[in-house]
Amino acid sequence: MIDGLLAFSGAPVASAAPVALQIGDALGQFFQPTTLARVFVDGLAKAALYVMIAAGLTLIFGLMGVLNFAHGSLTMIGAYLGGAILVVLVGGGGPTSLALFFVTVVVVFGLLAAFGALLEVSLIRPLYDRPPVYQILLTFGLTLVLDELARIVVSFYGLQPISDWQAALGTKPALLTQSVGLGPVSVSGLALFEIAFGFVTVLAIYAFLTKTRYGLVVRAGSEDSEMVDALGIDVRRVFTVVFALGVGIAGVAGTLLAWDATWGASVPLASETLLPAFVVVIVGGLGTFRGTVVAGLIVGLVDSTMTWWFQNAISFTGLPEMTIFLILVITLIVRPQGLFGLAEVGGH
Amino acid sequence: MSADTQPDSMDAEATNTGGSAASEADSGSEPLLALSDVHTYYGESHVLEGVSLDVREGEVVALVGRNGVGKTTTLRSILQLTQPREGSIRYRDMELIGRRTHEVAGAGIGWIPEERRMFAELTVAENVRIAAPADETERARTTAFETFPDLERFADRKAGTLSGGQQQMLAIARGLVGGNDLLLVDEPSEGLAPQIVASVAEAIADVASDTTVLLVEQNLPLALDLADRFYVLDNGRVVANGDTDDVSSDDEALRGYLSA
Repeated sequence: MIDGLLAFSGAPVASAAPVALQIGDALGQFFQPTTLARVFVDGLAKAALYVMIAAGLTLIFGLMGVLNFAHGSLTMIGAYLGGAILVVLVGGGGPTSLALFFVTVVVVFGLLAAFGALLEVSLIRPLYDRPPVYQILLTFGLTLVLDELARIVVSFYGLQPISDWQAALGTKPALLTQSVGLGPVSVSGLALFEIAFGFVTVLAIYAFLTKTRYGLVVRAGSEDSEMVDALGIDVRRVFTVVFALGVGIAGVAGTLLAWDATWGASVPLASETLLPAFVVVIVGGLGTFRGTVVAGLIVGLVDSTMTWWFQNAISFTGLPEMTIFLILVITLIVRPQGLFGLAEVGGH
Repeated sequence: MSADTQPDSMDAEATNTGGSAASEADSGSEPLLALSDVHTYYGESHVLEGVSLDVREGEVVALVGRNGVGKTTTLRSILQLTQPREGSIRYRDMELIGRRTHEVAGAGIGWIPEERRMFAELTVAENVRIAAPADETERARTTAFETFPDLERFADRKAGTLSGGQQQMLAIARGLVGGNDLLLVDEPSEGLAPQIVASVAEAIADVASDTTVLLVEQNLPLALDLADRFYVLDNGRVVANGDTDDVSSDDEALRGYLSA
């Protein structure tokens, strides 16, 4: 049967043996402990970024039922804003310190959260009583406006909008540009930092949701916001806070991405982050934070595994990105509500 | 029982079978809640066509009627979950129409909705906690579990895993801990086994001993047993009202309003 297929595809039947041999070699190499460990660490780093990018999106959808198509653009603005603050803080270029990075993160979170609150109150709130398509169209329009504004501003300052902002990349501390030895495995300092930062972010969001009264209201509102209102809680104010929080987290994720050469601060970062964020949120189950974390881990680990395979065994580096969309397609067919999804979430 | 609005032949019959309405029993005292000529629509559908009723402090008032005559819509209109287009709803000195739902609830009106509407993914304890004012969560927990000891065993279980009867108890507990002066209770016996209905009735009677209650209920014997007064709603209008002591659940006129 395989021979028949190879013949049909025009491939010489005789070449089947070397391909099998090559895949056999790759399998042996893949299952070596050092390779597995490196793929695992890379996967965790990707997962940390995916979860951070998607966390705000899922919080907003879970509570308010708003699919925020502008989420990627807000992440991109966070990358430029964080990058700009870091570049200014170090006086135009060169590495900064982790302490300044954390100051930058706090400032970006505050500014983006304030911008998010303004967007919710002025643009999103008037549409709550209309069908969801209005919010989708509005946030989609918003992404076009924000991307174009970013393009204009970036060009004004003499930067190439579609290229990564090298000065922002260059502010990465020397510590994070080096490799760190973990036993026999050598991994990049940035990957470890991304894992740690993502872990702390997840813990902080989890603590907010489970240990605070506001978090309790958010979880209850995600199930039945009308009932929350009828308990005497101003659910619209909670909507504003959560929208601000979601946008703030997107900004923080963007600041971290400005240091990662795989992403970098550029205008196309808006769509580059929006698509995986939607994949993670849909695979996890729309609106569930736990689902987003688990889906982020799955997508991150599958992504790093497939990246290794496409780079080392198949030599086709453009395909790994496709695999995360394959995960999306499989999820939508097998379990349309996602891993932890409820039949219905959000609403106003 | 007296006809209230637009009496037809059945209203006239009902008028002659019972005693007085609240106007006789409580003349002189201001009602805690007063609906006057309330009109509510769902889109173009005119659901409440001028409902007027009042509830006085300390009373249990039943709102009875067939399915789809506007009982739940009356409660939703009071809470401003569905905004009436005309009329007046006064609670103490406050006009409720035009206010936001959380303001109405914050003024002291609690809601125990149809089908309970638990937060299924939250634990029992969390369902109680969210219903209480922020600075009274510990007191609320104590009150809820003292009133409903069975719930304490399930404090850390997700509310969605409880049985229908346990969920109804939790819904009542949620209304109880909110520090409300008026509770709007919607079909508490719906979908429950008869032996569970008895416990739910007992719980409502317990709550009603120090809270005013407006009770929507299709189970006529239960409604008459719990309530001091009743209103009959038909086609979006109050067609009769009276004192529950003056009627029985076998009352033909009353049963006529409730039969399909």
